[in-house]
Amino acid sequence: MLLGTIVYAIINSVILILMSIGFNLTFGISGVSNFAYGALYILAAFVTWMLLYLVGLPYLVSALLSILFTAFIGALMYRFILMRVRGQVLSEVIATFGIGLAILEFFRYLGFVGVEYALPVFIDESFMIGNVYVDMQRILIVLSSAVLVFLLWLFVHHTSLGLAFRGIAQDERTALTFGMDSDWIATLSVSFGAGLAAIAATIIIPLGTITVSQGYDVLINALAVSIIGGLGSTGGVIVASLVVGFAQRFTDTYIGSHWTMIVSLVAILIVLVIKPSGLYGKQKELEERI
Amino acid sequence: MKRRFGVGCLFLVLGIVFSFSAYAADPIVIGVPTSTGFVEGKEGLAIVEMAVADINAKGGVKVGSEQRMLKVESIDIRDAAPGVPVPEALMGIEKLILEKKPAALLIGPFRSEALLAAMDILAKYKVPMLGTIAMTPASEGKIKQEPDKYKYVFRTCLNAKYLVSYLVGIMSFANKEFGFNKVYIMHQDVAWARATADGMVKNYFEKAGWTVLGQESYPTGASDFSSGLMKARSNGAQVILPIFDMPQSGTLVKQWKSMKVPALMAGFISPLAGPGAWKTFDKKIGGAINCNFELGSAIASKKVPPSVDFLKAYEKKFGKAMEAGHGPGPTWESVYILKEAIERAGSLDPDALVAEIKKTDRTGVMGRIKFDDGHQAIFGMDPKEAAVACVFQWNDKGERVNVFPESIADSKIKLPEGLKSAK
Repeated sequence: MLLGTIVYAIINSVILILMSIGFNLTFGISGVSNFAYGALYILAAFVTWMLLYLVGLPYLVSALLSILFTAFIGALMYRFILMRVRGQVLSEVIATFGIGLAILEFFRYLGFVGVEYALPVFIDESFMIGNVYVDMQRILIVLSSAVLVFLLWLFVHHTSLGLAFRGIAQDERTALTFGMDSDWIATLSVSFGAGLAAIAATIIIPLGTITVSQGYDVLINALAVSIIGGLGSTGGVIVASLVVGFAQRFTDTYIGSHWTMIVSLVAILIVLVIKPSGLYGKQKELEERI
Repeated sequence: MKRRFGVGCLFLVLGIVFSFSAYAADPIVIGVPTSTGFVEGKEGLAIVEMAVADINAKGGVKVGSEQRMLKVESIDIRDAAPGVPVPEALMGIEKLILEKKPAALLIGPFRSEALLAAMDILAKYKVPMLGTIAMTPASEGKIKQEPDKYKYVFRTCLNAKYLVSYLVGIMSFANKEFGFNKVYIMHQDVAWARATADGMVKNYFEKAGWTVLGQESYPTGASDFSSGLMKARSNGAQVILPIFDMPQSGTLVKQWKSMKVPALMAGFISPLAGPGAWKTFDKKIGGAINCNFELGSAIASKKVPPSVDFLKAYEKKFGKAMEAGHGPGPTWESVYILKEAIERAGSLDPDALVAEIKKTDRTGVMGRIKFDDGHQAIFGMDPKEAAVACVFQWNDKGERVNVFPESIADSKIKLPEGLKSAK
């Protein structure tokens, strides 16, 4: 039982990392809180479904096109809406949340409701780890997340564009003096974040079905993990995902399933009280701000 | 001359059109306040529209001496979505009543909590409602306590008590036939599911000598059931009793299969109800047993021909099979119950309508429908005597085989591959 709980806690944590890494990347670079993040996740899932079942494309092609499409929508979102309100935090939140609502409710309005909206698993096998069965899709989630995080690290540390990302994230004004186009980088950061949401959707959705309401759950999870880890910190997201992921599964196993939803909220409260900027957040501490 | 003639003809046509519209009676508005973003609400609304089109094509409803058409007005009250507060659903219902002036409401809230709160609004505006989703027996208690106030609320679908009786039927069979007596209960943390799970423990498992290994409640929206399934496996559960109506519960079936839990999955998981589940769950649900709450709700029986005709008509009209295992059957019947009540009452007076709805005795897709003192449709085991639910088992060919009640069963429950009888 303990081993099984640990195995599923690791998987749960990795799912949380996948769900939140795009949101965190966008905030870390451009400072934009993309509240349409959950909607973009669902958009990607439905686009993959449509390409797969309505157009008849192969699964991998559908997933790839869906990721590119979602990333493109993210870029458009920044260029045509967010750029106009950049720097006005409340306006950014309202604008992105509005876009997210519009996307999700549009799918609901179109009638994308029902069990037929599901994506197939990549490999339909189960393996025994210790004394517990784990399906291949979950193992793939863990492997692909590890690869994704590694590629992301390589990108931001060893490519000129990635270094520009870091430059803007560290000090936008100084980066501007070096000729970096902050709007272009911000466009890319929102686009990358949307693309990462799409990658997460195509890997995670096969575990269940596609439902519009999941968009809100994904946003809440991404927010919870990012706040606990410290907005903008990739390391923080990973640590926070492990903390929340393990807490949820252990609560589920040893206390009761209905308490799992409360775990993330309690974690947010505790972190906000003890360390308002999050575990690895680089924002100023409360006492410094006042 | 030609021009004058043309203008004259135009005025004549317009005159005829306007005179007809002046004399034509206004349509009778049927309100549908429900969660249209969920498959039960979406298909329910489609079925109301299908029934209304059917009735209107045959000349509409006779109210006293005049023939009137029906018109559907709907609103998405979103109460089925996790986190949506009950007051938001109530605002939607009140808005529909005040703005569209419906003669009656159909389908109604999903959540029992919302239904109980909505009963006061229906009493305030005196609007009859034939509910087809929310299942708490508490609404019947309120009607029995204050019949004059709450008489406007009827329920055409089954309630949690009746659901318990069908689930007891399955468990009794599993006990008698295979010697199973260890159960693990997994249910959604909502009123009807809690009531059903508690009812099963008190009314059956404790009395019949079963061991309840655990009872887990999951918040609406939960999508990881691994801990519960591990507990079921490690404790040696022979039967898992799931009670869920949220779309995410499909994950439970996938995890049950992928984690190879050696226990019979028998209960209610809404995504398992319709034929589409076979494809959705990668053809790996053979052996799972599901109780569709009403005959006609995505499941039919050759022994009740109207149920077969109903599903065929739905598929023909919408080009795809029905998927909701709760709501469609009673929703179809509710439109006709309302039509017949209006015609018998000869008016749209809510008190007269309520009196006539109470007298309902019709046989349709669910079997025979009559209401009891709590305005609940009476469910039983024989469609000739009462309305019936339908328990079916998925076989390995992707077919749904009716297994309970006996009156509509085509086969007995069979153990899925890898699961052995305890006898």
